[in-house]
Amino acid sequence: MDSQILRQLEGYEKVTTDIEVLKRYGYDYRLERGLAKKYVERFHPHAIDVKVTDIINETNSTKTLRLASKQKYMPPFQAGQYISVIVEVDGIRTSRPYSISSSPDEIAYYDITVRRVEGGMISNYLLDSIKIGDSLQVSAPAGNFYHNPIIHSNKVVYIAGGSGVTPFKSMIQHAVNTGTEKEIWLIYGSKNDSELIFNDYFSKVASKYTFFRYIPVLEEGAGTYKGFITKDIIKEIVGDSSDKTFFICGPQAMYEHLLKELQPLKLKPRQIRMESYGVPADVFSQPGWPKEISQNTRFVIKVRGKKDFTVTAGQPLLQSLEKNHIVVPSLCRSGECSMCRVKLVSGKVYQPEGVKLRQADRRFGYIHSCAAFPISDCEIII
Amino acid sequence: MYDVIIIGAGNAGLAAAATLARKGAKILLIEKHNIPGGCATSFCRGRFEFEVSLHQLSGMGTPERPGPLRSVLDSIGVLNKLDFVEMEKLYRVVMPGIIDITLPTNKEELIKVLQQQFPNQRDAIQKFFDFVWQFFTEVIGAFYLNDPDINPKKYPLYYKYALKDTQSVLDEYFNDPLLKAVISPYWTYMGLPPSKLCFSDMAALLFSYVEFKPYHIKGGSQMLSNAMLEVIYENGGEVLFNTEVSKILIKNNTAYGVRTTSGQEFESKYVLSNASAISTFVDMMDDTVNQKALEQYKGSSVGTSFFTIYCGLDCDYHEVGINEETNFISNSTDMEFDYQLSKTLDTENSSFILTCYNVFDNEMVPKGTSQVVLVTMKYAEPWLKVPPHQYNDEKYRCAEAMLKNAEKVFPGIISHIEEMEIATPITHMRYLGHPGGGAYGFDQYVKDSTMFISPKPPIDGLYCAGSWYGAAGYQPTLTSGHSAARAILKEMRKK
Ligand SMILES: Cc1cc2nc3c(=O)[nH]c(=O)nc-3n(C[C@H](O)[C@H](O)[C@H](O)COP(=O)(O)OP(=O)(O)OC[C@H]3O[C@@H](n4cnc5c(N)ncnc54)[C@H](O)[C@@H]3O)c2cc1C
Ligand SMILES: Cc1cc2nc3c(=O)[nH]c(=O)nc-3n(C[C@H](O)[C@H](O)[C@H](O)COP(=O)(O)OP(=O)(O)OC[C@H]3O[C@@H](n4cnc5c(N)ncnc54)[C@H](O)[C@@H]3O)c2cc1C
Ligand code: FES
Repeated sequence: MDSQILRQLEGYEKVTTDIEVLKRYGYDYRLERGLAKKYVERFHPHAIDVKVTDIINETNSTKTLRLASKQKYMPPFQAGQYISVIVEVDGIRTSRPYSISSSPDEIAYYDITVRRVEGGMISNYLLDSIKIGDSLQVSAPAGNFYHNPIIHSNKVVYIAGGSGVTPFKSMIQHAVNTGTEKEIWLIYGSKNDSELIFNDYFSKVASKYTFFRYIPVLEEGAGTYKGFITKDIIKEIVGDSSDKTFFICGPQAMYEHLLKELQPLKLKPRQIRMESYGVPADVFSQPGWPKEISQNTRFVIKVRGKKDFTVTAGQPLLQSLEKNHIVVPSLCRSGECSMCRVKLVSGKVYQPEGVKLRQADRRFGYIHSCAAFPISDCEIII
Repeated sequence: MYDVIIIGAGNAGLAAAATLARKGAKILLIEKHNIPGGCATSFCRGRFEFEVSLHQLSGMGTPERPGPLRSVLDSIGVLNKLDFVEMEKLYRVVMPGIIDITLPTNKEELIKVLQQQFPNQRDAIQKFFDFVWQFFTEVIGAFYLNDPDINPKKYPLYYKYALKDTQSVLDEYFNDPLLKAVISPYWTYMGLPPSKLCFSDMAALLFSYVEFKPYHIKGGSQMLSNAMLEVIYENGGEVLFNTEVSKILIKNNTAYGVRTTSGQEFESKYVLSNASAISTFVDMMDDTVNQKALEQYKGSSVGTSFFTIYCGLDCDYHEVGINEETNFISNSTDMEFDYQLSKTLDTENSSFILTCYNVFDNEMVPKGTSQVVLVTMKYAEPWLKVPPHQYNDEKYRCAEAMLKNAEKVFPGIISHIEEMEIATPITHMRYLGHPGGGAYGFDQYVKDSTMFISPKPPIDGLYCAGSWYGAAGYQPTLTSGHSAARAILKEMRKK
């Protein structure tokens, strides 16, 4: 401001004296170099360099990898959250989310428990190529699938399908380790009993503690409950459901089935928490997918300022970008977290239901590339 | 070689980049996050999309009677890309058991409502508002209309009150602490209590919200951020997301480009920083070049951050007794004590703002639901001392205490929360990269205002804009970005 005017303002002298005094005794901000970042990195480091300190065989198709930080510090997480494992396989840099299966009170490591997916790129790599002592890079814990003590009931029903049981292992172990006021039911759907992950652990906890009930539901073989998880099974096991919160985690197909089964229970939306568990593997059968586009249809993707390449229909855009060595950060790979957001300048993509796009992103043509399947030639900006 | 590199895509960075691009400058905007906006953004949880920061947009006015922000947005090129919703009420103040009053936005009605509530202060109320309006009319005459001859005779109120604190002016007019508290809850929008808050700032807020009405952007503040980015793309600007600037390149006290954390270097004629003053002058510079610039911030203290609870309710807001968009809830009239509490982890006694976003805009939420956000001022310091493994428990403890207070005014609110997210000062540090999570920049004492510290640092080719280099808030930061861009354009034309 014009110093001529300033000097005539009432109180000017007092302010300038303050400024002089404070300058003399003031703070040297050079002491704060890098400090803000350090504080934030205790919670949300950009990435964590970890070492595989143990590998535990869980079932024929499943192993637990124990990951400890090379910096000797793992950020805190809430039971139910996941990490994204960042890997480079055959020259392609990509990532996959895995729920942490260890308890948050085990502060020295994160366990992830990986099941083999036939034809899957990263699950097979993690199961077959990773040995004790190997290095990996993972993201900080993320995700919104956890118990909020203010709004969720202390009576919780966990419904798991297949490898979707991993976040519940963390929640249950946390309850055991820290003592709990919760009452917990775990209804676990699986093909057969040899595929049940953590079966021994859950059985042991159930026989020792009254707060926990463990109910495997097997498609084939012996057991009290057979077939798929149904409303009748749920009703029989948990009784009145109006005072309970349901946590559901498992493959996409299970959600469709379960949501239908849960309908007659008349639960309020706030009573149901669902983990996102990837995009549909087969988009061609999804509602709204354009019939004329088959697995043989090819499109050209133009990435502004970078390069053009061809893709076949049915692949998420993010995956195609990665195959073409264009790295876009990703976390959930389920269309939820917005990490992989890019701008669609022209062309069309198919987005499965449930993708969480902001209103403003919809309006200005942004998409979540992990959950966007090109259905025409496209131009994008990263 | 770029004309201008802009560090940070907050309000100011985006406004500057859009203004420059529109005028044909070759620009590169670099943002460390994956989305533009800084504070001006939103995020999705369940079936809700939560607005992060915008409660009440100031300075808009109507197309017929435009406020200063409207013309800034026009000149940035985003006005026709956005829709705005005018709020019908200024705010509701509730102190349980003490007062519950809602102020309209119309000045005459506002005075009437206050006079009805405080009949024995009738005249004082009228006089106070007349005074604030006269004061601000002088400000407009002198500075907005660029009077070439500004002197104490022409602008007596300005010369007398410009540097005064708000409390002493309130004390001059009123003796009832309750009335003072009802008139000044906007101090929380500035981050300092009346005793420390410059009267000019308080007057500007009151005047601006009443004259030009509080607004809300349809689709939330992300709409504004995306719209500014659109203007940048339309005019050939380049943008890098997920890219963090680690160094401003300086030779002979002249900025000539930036380096990113991945080691890439970009050169330019000018650099504009929307990052915090501390990041800009300490993290991005060597101690050989930052001395003079840092000298002026020696006496400044890092400002407040926030503790925020974002709630998606599974019911209509009326059901829990919410009738207004903006609600200031507190336990007492003691604003000074309230401010002291912002330096602690205590939320049991802190006042807070409860904003319900769908009161004036039902498209903000899925049918039959409501979006409610509770915010209280909290400095980062105590939060930095919480051991990381207790962080989540502390978050829940603070949120629960605040919600219990909300429950007293809005019974049943907790039982209707379907989605909840809690943000602490550390959350703001993470998303903005600012020390102390200071969404308001430095504490805005009179001595820290642009009257005494110029936003232009003493390094050639380097410009700064945003909440760390002047007042915080949407209108001020958008204006600051726009002005910095114009200053650069002027320099460019000279050369
Ligand atoms: C939040 C979250 C938590 C998770 N937690 C766990 C966990 O705890 N444990 C766990 O085991 N998994 C977990 N997952 C799943 C995990 O992230 C991976 O998706 C899984 O391991 C498969 O990855 P992949 O690389 O092996 O398979 P991908 O290569 O990604 O393939 C996935 C599927 O698509 C099919 N496919 C591959 N390429 C094509 C193609 N070109 N055309 C058609 N189909 C194709 C594959 O056959 C396979 O069925 C989680 C997922 C999410 C979102
Ligand atoms: C909870 C809350 C409520 C608020 N309510 C209101 C309100 O009702 N009305 C109002 O007017 N104002 C309000 N505000 C204030 C307003 O949102 C801010 O003052 C304003 O948005 C700040 O804008 P800015 O230009 O300073 O940039 P910021 O929003 O601070 O953004 C700075 C940007 O720079 C980026 N950056 C930082 N360092 C680097 C680097 N090294 N490299 C690359 N990029 C970098 C950051 O990622 C960020 O995107 C509120 C703020 C908060 C947090
Ligand atoms: S990676 Fe989360 S939305 Fe795509």
